[in-house]
Amino acid sequence: MSKVKTHKVIGLRSTLLSLFLFLFFILLSNQFEPYNQSQLANIAMLLIAVLSITLLTGASGQISLGQGAIMAVGGYSSALLVTRLGLSMWLAFILAIFVSALFGLFLGLAAARLSGPYLAGTTLVMALAIPSIAVRFETFFSGDVGLSVDYGMPPEWLTKLIGEVSIEEWSLYVVLPFTAVALFAVLNLSNTRIGRTWRAVRDNEVAASLAGINIGRTKVIVFVCASGLAGLAGALYGFRGLVAPSVYPTDLSLTLLTAAVIGGLRSIGGAIFGTFVIVFLPDLIEKVTNNLAIPETVGIYLPALAIGLLLLLTVILNPRGAAGALEHLRHKKKH
Amino acid sequence: MTPFLTAFFSGTAQGAIYALVSLGLVLVWRSAGVVNFAQMGQAMFTTYIASQLIQNNYSYWSAFLIALISGAALGALVDLGLMRPLTSRKNSQLLNSQSMRTTIPVIASLGILGVLKALAGIFWAGEERGFPSPVAPNAIKIGDTSLAITGFDLFVIGTVFLTLVLTTIFFTKTGMGLAMRASALNPEVTRLSGIKVGSVRTLGWAISGIASSLAGLLVTPRTNLSPNTLDLLLIIGFTAAVVGGLSSLAGSVLGGFILGYVISFVNVYSAPENVFIAILAFLLLALFLRPQGILGSKEVRSV
Repeated sequence: MSKVKTHKVIGLRSTLLSLFLFLFFILLSNQFEPYNQSQLANIAMLLIAVLSITLLTGASGQISLGQGAIMAVGGYSSALLVTRLGLSMWLAFILAIFVSALFGLFLGLAAARLSGPYLAGTTLVMALAIPSIAVRFETFFSGDVGLSVDYGMPPEWLTKLIGEVSIEEWSLYVVLPFTAVALFAVLNLSNTRIGRTWRAVRDNEVAASLAGINIGRTKVIVFVCASGLAGLAGALYGFRGLVAPSVYPTDLSLTLLTAAVIGGLRSIGGAIFGTFVIVFLPDLIEKVTNNLAIPETVGIYLPALAIGLLLLLTVILNPRGAAGALEHLRHKKKH
Repeated sequence: MTPFLTAFFSGTAQGAIYALVSLGLVLVWRSAGVVNFAQMGQAMFTTYIASQLIQNNYSYWSAFLIALISGAALGALVDLGLMRPLTSRKNSQLLNSQSMRTTIPVIASLGILGVLKALAGIFWAGEERGFPSPVAPNAIKIGDTSLAITGFDLFVIGTVFLTLVLTTIFFTKTGMGLAMRASALNPEVTRLSGIKVGSVRTLGWAISGIASSLAGLLVTPRTNLSPNTLDLLLIIGFTAAVVGGLSSLAGSVLGGFILGYVISFVNVYSAPENVFIAILAFLLLALFLRPQGILGSKEVRSV
């Protein structure tokens, strides 16, 4: 057997990359006014959810149209832990990962039996049904009104250390460590034995099972990992102010998938790029429509139109997304 | 009128519409191997076209006919413009892996759904509007007792029944229908026997477009019309198709009626808030008990 090129589990490269992203966000936020700082925080939390799709679809070939619903699971579990049990926010975030991972375990057990379109449809039904549970059991989940939670005020030691910290900056500081750790975990996971098993299952199930891989168990593990990530993202997303069904609509699931596809399903850099696009593109379009005096009734649909067209264009031109296109160019230059 | 009969009649009328949606999904699945998540987006769009025509003083029936024709055209366009180039592409590395070949068309159909919804919002302002029905929605009376079934329900059931009969005749008695069944069963052999498999597939998309467009016309008098109203219908239709068997046309119709009864009985005997959870529970139950569906055949995977 030929020697397979493997990376060390804790690679130097992934550590540096995660740290770089962390610093990059902080430096970028210093250049921004408060609104864009909070948009940057949005990117940092949504990136975690997009990474969960990169794992699920890019690395193991399973599709989920319901990552928003899993975000809701994370959001509700953390918000309930804080408001009902009075836990600290940080502990609630960590516990939200475990609750959603447990949810992912059940989902994975069902998903292991499904493939392609069945899985897509089932997760889409889930995306609609889960938020409706909050309305159904209103006394426990507070129905449509939702649970109010926030990041609180920046602690004193931080203001002493770096001076005045605005609410927007504080939300970014809360989210960024989680984003960096999630990025670090995903970067390393794809180079471990588990990551290679996932790719084998993605590319050819029959061949993978002949090579001794337990397909069912592999799929369940992917779902557990991806759901943990999505749940964390959902908890962070909810603590911007409100955890309610309207915060996690079906469109959120589809937007996340779009981000992952535009950037490139198999690329972590692509996930970062795609998340920037879905968060900043609507702002950019708004600026353009304001300048062109396009009526507001048309303007509100333009971001959705642009994102839909971008998704179609990506799939037609290069299903591997921006990252795939870049690689293609680099490849061409060599020859 | 007892609650049971109320649930039964409204279940039949709703189920007839779900059967159309589910039939549309299965038609495309069988002919192209794609679950078209944009299907009800297409139907939403054609229903808006009909609504616009009626506003411009066209008669209901001419708007009805034009909506069905544009449904067929839109379905064919999606296949020719997007799905065919996507699935025929051989060189892309991403499509080399088994799972990606089924994933990419799903993503593409979601893209179409997003674009259609945004366009409908831009063209028609996206506010909820009513949609007329050709029959008054009053309860039918026998003597003094009014039945739980309305004239409109009968119109829906009748139209769907007629559609199903026509579809059955098409698939069993015409050469084109036979060609469609053959290419669903084995495209390679069908191609070798001189049938243009590509055109047959496009025809499948077109017929599916008609069926879903009809479902849109029949459901909106009750639900009103907005870019998002038909999303729920897609979810229900998908569940119906899975319950009946994604590979079986008769199964998809059966699944549609089953879902109609399930939803209507949950509505009457429980609470409307429970409908979503009931759909999810029913879908999961069906997938666990009989993944190939009631009338579906087990998929045999070749290496």
